[in-house]
Order: sequence, then C-alpha cells, then structure tokens
Amino acid sequence: MRRTLSLLAVIAIAAAVPADAEKQKYSHEDYFEHYEGTKTCLACHEDEAVSFFHSQHYQWTGETPAIINAEGKMLGKKNTINDFCTNPIPAWIGITKNSRGEILSQGCSKCHAGLGKMPSSELSREQLENIDCLICHASGYNRNLFESEDGGLEWKPILWQNQVGMDSVSKRITMPKRTSCLRCHAGSGGGPNFKRGDIEYELAETDRTFDVHMGTDGGDMACTDCHAGSKHRMRGRGVDLMGSDQVGEPLGCGNGACHTAEPHAKELINRHTARIDCTVCHIPTFARADATDMARDWSKPVYSEANDKHIPTFTMGKDVVPVIDWYNGTVWAQLPGVTVTTQADGAVGMVLPQGSRTDPKSRLFAFKVHKGRMPLLTKDRWLLPINVEEFFADGDIDGAVREAAHAVYGLEDIDYEWVDVERYMGIFHGVQPAATALRCLDCHGPDGRLDWTGLGYEADPLAAALAPSH
Amino acid sequence: MSKTKLMVVVVLAGIVVLSFASGATAAKNKIKGQDVFKEFCKPCHGADSEAGEYTPMSLIQDQWETFFDEKFEETHKGVTDPNHDNKPVIDVLTEEEFDALAKWTVDHAADSEQPMTCG
Ligand code: HEC
Ligand code: HEC
Ligand code: HEC
Ligand code: HEC
Ligand code: HEC
Ligand code: HEC
Ligand code: HEC
Ligand code: HEC
Repeated sequence: MRRTLSLLAVIAIAAAVPADAEKQKYSHEDYFEHYEGTKTCLACHEDEAVSFFHSQHYQWTGETPAIINAEGKMLGKKNTINDFCTNPIPAWIGITKNSRGEILSQGCSKCHAGLGKMPSSELSREQLENIDCLICHASGYNRNLFESEDGGLEWKPILWQNQVGMDSVSKRITMPKRTSCLRCHAGSGGGPNFKRGDIEYELAETDRTFDVHMGTDGGDMACTDCHAGSKHRMRGRGVDLMGSDQVGEPLGCGNGACHTAEPHAKELINRHTARIDCTVCHIPTFARADATDMARDWSKPVYSEANDKHIPTFTMGKDVVPVIDWYNGTVWAQLPGVTVTTQADGAVGMVLPQGSRTDPKSRLFAFKVHKGRMPLLTKDRWLLPINVEEFFADGDIDGAVREAAHAVYGLEDIDYEWVDVERYMGIFHGVQPAATALRCLDCHGPDGRLDWTGLGYEADPLAAALAPSH
Repeated sequence: MSKTKLMVVVVLAGIVVLSFASGATAAKNKIKGQDVFKEFCKPCHGADSEAGEYTPMSLIQDQWETFFDEKFEETHKGVTDPNHDNKPVIDVLTEEEFDALAKWTVDHAADSEQPMTCG
C-alpha cells in the first residue's frame, strides 16, 4: 500500500511542478564533471570573470558622470551613506540573532555577488574566485553563510555537502532570469519592496495588468532585455544610485530603441512627450503588491514583538501616487564626509534631481520621495552611518551610531544630533496597459497631480489655451 | 522504457490523482507539510542527529522525488519511531500527511526559488 501511495504522490508532484529545471537540457551538462567553486567556471570563462570583476555589481563603486558634485570620484554602495541601511562596511558579514536564537540578518554582503571577501580594486586570482557566477546564472541556486577554513564566515552553496545536488544545480546555466535579479533587487532596503517601490517580487510571475513588459501574458521580458549592456555592465542607474555602470548608453523608453518619442495616434498626446517622460503617464501608481517604505526614522527605535527585533519607525505606503518633478539626467548628492546642505524646509537633500522648466534638457519624471531621519555629526555636520544589524538585535541605536562612525570615519567620542533627510528615487517599472494611462484631467483637472506653480508655470497651460484670447 | 511512454503514464496518472485530489482538497489543505516534518521527521533528523541532519534544503527537488519514490520505504521500514508507539516510520503517516510532506519538501528544496531580504 505504502509503495503505491508514494508513487502516486510523486506523480502528483511531478504533474504539479511545471516542466521544470532538471528535466530541461542545459548547454553545460557536459562541460564539467563536478562543480568545485568559481574556479570551475574560470577554466573556460576567465574573460567574463575579469569583466565582472570590474563592474559596479562586484566593485560597489563606479564612475559618476551623473552626479554634479562628485568631482570625478568613484562612488557606489561601498563608500556612500544612504537613508535606508546607511553603509555596508560596519556590517559586511556576520550572523545577528535575536534573544530567541533566530537569525535576524547575515551582513550586507548577502547581496554582493561575491562569496564573502570584500571587493578589492586589485585584480587577483583570489578576487576572481570570490565572484559568485551562479547567483545570476544558475536557476535553483541558493547560498548561505558557513564557517570558512580560517574560522571566519563565507557564502557557500547550501548544497556544498551534497555533490550530486550541487553538480545538478551548477550545470543549469542560463542567462539571468527575472528571479535571478529579483532575489537581490526586490528585498533591498530590509524587506519585500521596501526600497524601490516599483521593483517587487510580484514581477517574478505576473500578468500584463501589473506590468506590460514583464507580465507573462505580455512581453514576458527579462530584466536583462532592458538592462544588459556589454561586458557585464548594466545600463540604467536610475536617479539616485551613485555609480553609472555602463557610461554613455543611457536607458530610457522613448529614444527610438523600443518606442519612438511620438508613439501615439493622438497628436495632442504626442506633443506632451517633449516635456513629459513616458513613465509619468504610464505608471500611475507604484507599490501595488507589497507596501513600500516611504519614511524611516532611525531616531525612534521600536521593538517588534512578532520578530523579536528592533526596527526604526517606518511609514509604509501602498498604491502610492508618484511626485512629479523636473529632471535633466543629473543629480546633486549628499556625499559622506562633506558638510550637509539643508533645503528651505530644513531637510538634507540626499539625492536631488537637477533641472527646471526653463532648462531645455529637463523633462518631468515620476518619483518616490523617501523621507528619513539620520544621525549628523554635530561638529563637522557630516551624515553618520549606523551599524543597523547590531541595532536589530539589541535596540541600542546610540551604540550602533558610535560604532559605525568609528568603522567608517575612524571617529571616537562623537557628539551627534538627528536631522531630516529626503531622497528622490525614479519610478520606472510597473508600466500598466494603455487603458489605465493618465487622462487629461489627472493633470489638468482641479485635483490634478501636478503642482503647476511649483513646476514653474503661471497656471495650468490647458486652462490658458482654453481661455478666450483677446 | 521509452521517454514518451513514461510521459503519457505520468500525465494520465496526474489527471487521476488531481481529480481525486480536488474532491479531497478541503480536508487536505488543513495539513501542513511543515508540521508533519516537525512531528515525524525532525526528532531523528535535527542538527547533530545520529541519522544525519535533514531539512528540505538538504536535497534538490529531484532528490526528494527519488527519495519518496524509491528510497523512503527501503531506508525507513526497519527504523521504529519511539514517539509513535515504536511503529516503523513508514507506517505512522496517513496518506494526507505523506502527500503534504512530500509536496512541502519539494516546494522548499535546495533548488526552489528563495528570495532574499536584508534584516
Ligand atoms: C569547459 C568549458 C566551460 C566551462 C567549465 C564552463 N563553461 Fe560556460 N560556456 C562554455 C561555452 C563553450 C559557452 C558558449 C556556448 C554555449 O552556450 O554552449 C558557454 C556559455 C556560457 C554562458 C552563456 C550562456 C547562454 O545561455 O548563452 C554562461 C552564462 C556561462 N557559460 C556560465 C558559466 C558558468 C557560471 C560556469 C561555471 C559553473 C561555466 N560557464 C563553466 C564553456 C564552459
Ligand atoms: C547579488 C545581488 C544582486 C544580483 C543577483 C543582482 N543585483 Fe543588481 N545590484 C545589486 C547591488 C547591491 C547594486 C548596487 C551597487 C552599487 O550601487 O554600488 C546593484 C545595481 C544594479 C543596477 C544599477 C547599476 C548602476 O549603474 O548603478 C542595475 C541596473 C542592476 N543592478 C540590475 C540588475 C539586473 C538586471 C540583475 C539580474 C541580471 C541584477 N541586477 C542582479 C545587487 C544585485
Ligand atoms: C536583499 C539584498 C540586499 C541586502 C541584504 C542589502 N542590500 Fe543594499 N542594495 C541592494 C540593492 C539591490 C541595491 C541597488 C539597487 C537599489 O538601490 O534598489 C542596494 C543599494 C544600496 C546602497 C546604495 C548604493 C548606491 O550606489 O547609491 C546602499 C548605501 C546600501 N545598499 C546599503 C546596504 C547596507 C548598509 C546593507 C546591510 C545592512 C545592505 N545594503 C544590505 C540590496 C541589498
Ligand atoms: C549580477 C549578475 C551576474 C553575475 C554575478 C555574473 N554574470 Fe555573467 N552575465 C550577466 C548578464 C546580465 C549577462 C548578459 C549581458 C552582458 O554580457 O553583460 C551576462 C553574460 C555572461 C556570459 C555571456 C557573454 C556573452 O558575451 O554572450 C557569460 C559567459 C557569463 N556571463 C559568465 C559569467 C561568469 C563566468 C560569471 C562569474 C565569474 C558571471 N557571468 C557572473 C550577469 C551576471
Ligand atoms: C521595459 C524595460 C525594463 C525592464 C524589463 C526592467 N527595467 Fe529596470 N529600469 C528601466 C528603466 C528605463 C530604468 C531607469 C534607467 C535610468 O534612468 O537610468 C530602470 C532602472 C532600474 C534600476 C535603477 C534604480 C531605479 O531607479 O529603479 C534598477 C536597479 C533596475 N532598473 C532593476 C531592474 C530589475 C531587477 C528588473 C527585473 C525585475 C528590471 N529592472 C526590469 C527599465 C526596465
Ligand atoms: C501625457 C500622458 C502620456 C505620455 C507622456 C505618454 N503617453 Fe503613451 N499613452 C497615453 C494615453 C492616454 C494612451 C491611451 C491612448 C488612447 O486611449 O488613445 C497611451 C497609449 C500608449 C501606447 C499604446 C498604443 C496607443 O497608441 O494606444 C503606447 C505603446 C504608449 N502610449 C507609449 C508611450 C511612450 C513610449 C511614451 C513616451 C515616449 C508615452 N507613451 C508617453 C498617455 C501618455
Ligand atoms: C502627466 C500630466 C498631463 C496629462 C495626463 C495631460 N497633460 Fe496636457 N500638459 C501637461 C504639461 C506638463 C503641459 C505643459 C507642457 C510644456 O511645458 O510644454 C501640458 C500642456 C498642455 C496644453 C498646452 C500646450 C499644448 O501642447 O497645446 C494643452 C492644450 C494640453 N496640455 C491638453 C491636454 C489634453 C487634452 C490632455 C489629455 C489628452 C492632456 N493635456 C493630458 C501635463 C499633462
Ligand atoms: C526514528 C528515527 C527516524 C525518523 C522518525 C525518520 N528518519 Fe529518516 N532516517 C533515519 C535513519 C536511521 C536513517 C539512515 C538510514 C540509512 O542510512 O540506511 C535515515 C535516513 C534518511 C534519509 C537519507 C536516506 C538516504 O537516501 O540515504 C532521508 C532523506 C530521511 N531519512 C528523511 C526522513 C523524513 C522525510 C522523515 C519523516 C517522514 C524521516 N526521515 C523520519 C531515522 C529516522
């Protein structure tokens, strides 16, 4: 009896699991026998490894042509401070547990495409072998933290003790799928969709009413269909990231590569595209599946009983209407170790898009405006980082600020205060079907989403066009 | 056996099982594979267990399927479960529990989709 039952159960599973990974034939099945880490790939792909080594994804620094005050510095995740998790140096790798012994976090290197060593700008065998090719190229690959030979910690495939399983997974080589990218990109900022608002796990498997490009009944496009550059460089840094991975090949919608600048049958709509980016009308709201973090106050820790974890005070938003503002492709950014500049309302602008109505290079774009409250060094008025992972466990925000100030700036015995901050983040994903695009009155109506005078107009231009001429 | 024949058998059996399953879904949904694993497997397969540590993530989907298909009976028929009247491990689970367990291990296998978050 048991025998038949198990057979049936297995058949049911086989029928339920879609024609799946291991049944498919992969190009790499005969390329190697056993996977022994990245060196197995290096035997044939040294060039690709070298190109990946130089990328923003590996170095976490890159060129900064879009940041007007960067003065040519190489910037990225490694050496910036943001209003989400601040800076990764103080918590690069390590296991933080709560009082119940549950794992709260494993270090910021969890989302580095490396096996645990910090990226170095010096190319070496050790650095090449530190690249984790499988995280983007093998479906079904997963990794976890394990003790390394020297007693430290490293990222290893969870199958490292199961050679048969490891060999199977490491041979499932493909170009990256949506899920390969989303495993890091959907969880940035500390939870599902917390950071971006428009890069959600929903995109892994969705329909065209959610996203016409990535919906499986729409374009079913991979992230790389838009983002792949060459030599492992990604096109499209958006508005607020520091480095530009693929310089000189900007990514946009209406530049002729996929759509022309005037794709509509209606001439009046086409006239609008000269000054309004396509996304403004075609992404009416963001955070449609998972709520996104709209404000994060690090000065007000709260304790989450459910997870036995200390967290900052979050203000979450769902189905958020974007803020619309001018942007000419460059930004001003608040850099670490530089006296902060405050805006009229007293908040520090972390990343501010440049442009105005009178600048012909500027067009209107859709933004998520993220607010925060961050520690500020009283004497030099520099933004301070926080060792957020340490804080998750013990709730000691003061200790976490002091420790991170030491790790990043080498400072001891600091005086600090709290300051409001604000970041403009572009909204580019979740393009909806044309039927839900903004209509005339969404902008020109009495409750329209544009702040006409704030954007530099005397009044709504439609009203002006309709006004009787004299 | 030729591959096409096997496919046909799988598809036919799948239909039978699925139509049978749909009648019983209401009752079945209540059993969670994770709970079955905790009660019937973990006591012998936790960290540092003599019989070896097993979680769904120890094996890939293929290996779990083969395990339940070919190896479970073989490896556990001689093993008695002290938490369940010393019956052989293969005789303590109901059909529903067995199905839920098998599905859960496959869904959470080492090669299943596992999104990451920080903190
Ligand atoms: C024995 C040599 C060899 C080894 C070892 C090898 N590859 Fe390849 N790889 C190739 C060749 C040849 C191609 C191009 C032809 C093809 O796609 O079959 C290729 C293509 C690729 C591609 C492009 C795939 C595509 O679908 O277009 C990726 C990605 C890749 N390899 C990654 C890897 C990774 C990761 C490893 C290590 C697990 C690895 N390769 C190991 C020889 C190898
Ligand atoms: C291992 C985690 C991880 C994976 C997998 C991953 N990314 Fe990233 N990605 C990052 C991190 C972290 C950054 C930010 C690096 C920085 O700013 O220094 C980033 C930056 C980017 C950027 C901005 C580049 C720029 O110019 O600043 C793009 C675009 C991007 N990733 C797209 C993708 C795509 C497409 C995929 C799938 C092929 C992918 N990523 C896979 C972690 C990941
Ligand atoms: C779940 C994956 C994940 C984890 C874990 C993670 N990040 Fe990130 N982080 C990303 C991705 C993806 C990006 C780039 C894309 C974006 O900003 O949406 C990024 C970008 C950043 C940036 C901005 C880089 C730039 O060029 O402006 C900073 C700063 C940052 N992360 C800090 C941290 C810190 C500090 C930690 C650890 C406490 C951490 N991250 C953990 C995924 C992650
Ligand atoms: C962050 C994700 C990511 C990681 C990690 C990564 N790749 Fe890739 N890889 C890509 C993307 C995206 C492309 C396609 C665009 C390109 O070539 O830049 C690609 C393309 C390739 C190709 C095909 C190149 C061609 O010209 O057709 C090979 C081969 C390859 N990768 C091998 C590797 C190897 C080997 C490693 C590890 C040393 C690696 N990749 C690590 C994302 C990644
Ligand atoms: C239809 C094209 C398209 C697809 C598909 C797409 N993106 Fe984008 N993405 C864009 C555009 C356009 C930008 C803005 C580029 C710019 O202004 O530099 C962008 C920006 C980004 C950025 C920079 C940060 C930001 O502002 O959002 C990241 C990271 C990113 N995309 C990741 C992804 C991931 C991960 C996927 C797959 C789940 C994906 N993208 C799919 C078009 C696309
Ligand atoms: C001022 C708002 C607005 C802007 C800006 C805009 N669109 Fe549209 N778009 C619409 C509306 C409204 C429709 C629905 C058309 C209709 O109902 O006649 C539409 C329809 C479409 C369609 C479906 C085909 C069609 O003609 O019905 C595509 C594709 C499209 N837009 C692409 C774009 C691209 C690419 C851009 C940027 C170059 C862009 N749109 C900019 C409002 C806009
Ligand atoms: C995303 C918001 C938005 C939507 C939707 C929108 N407009 Fe506009 N419209 C603008 C902006 C901004 C301007 C000013 C453009 C400029 O500065 O050149 C404008 C300008 C105009 C003008 C005066 C300039 C001209 O081109 O004649 C008219 C008339 C007009 N819109 C009519 C419409 C009509 C009719 C619709 C619906 C089909 C519409 N608009 C939809 C934002 C919008
Ligand atoms: C009473 C103790 C006991 C219980 C309960 C038990 N096992 Fe085991 N299990 C064992 C022992 C002993 C072995 C080693 C058998 C051998 O090596 O021949 C084993 C071996 C295994 C193996 C490895 C088989 C192989 O191919 O080598 C797997 C997988 C496994 N058990 C899964 C399970 C699952 C799933 C359950 C819950 C239904 C379970 N076990 C319940 C004692 C137990």
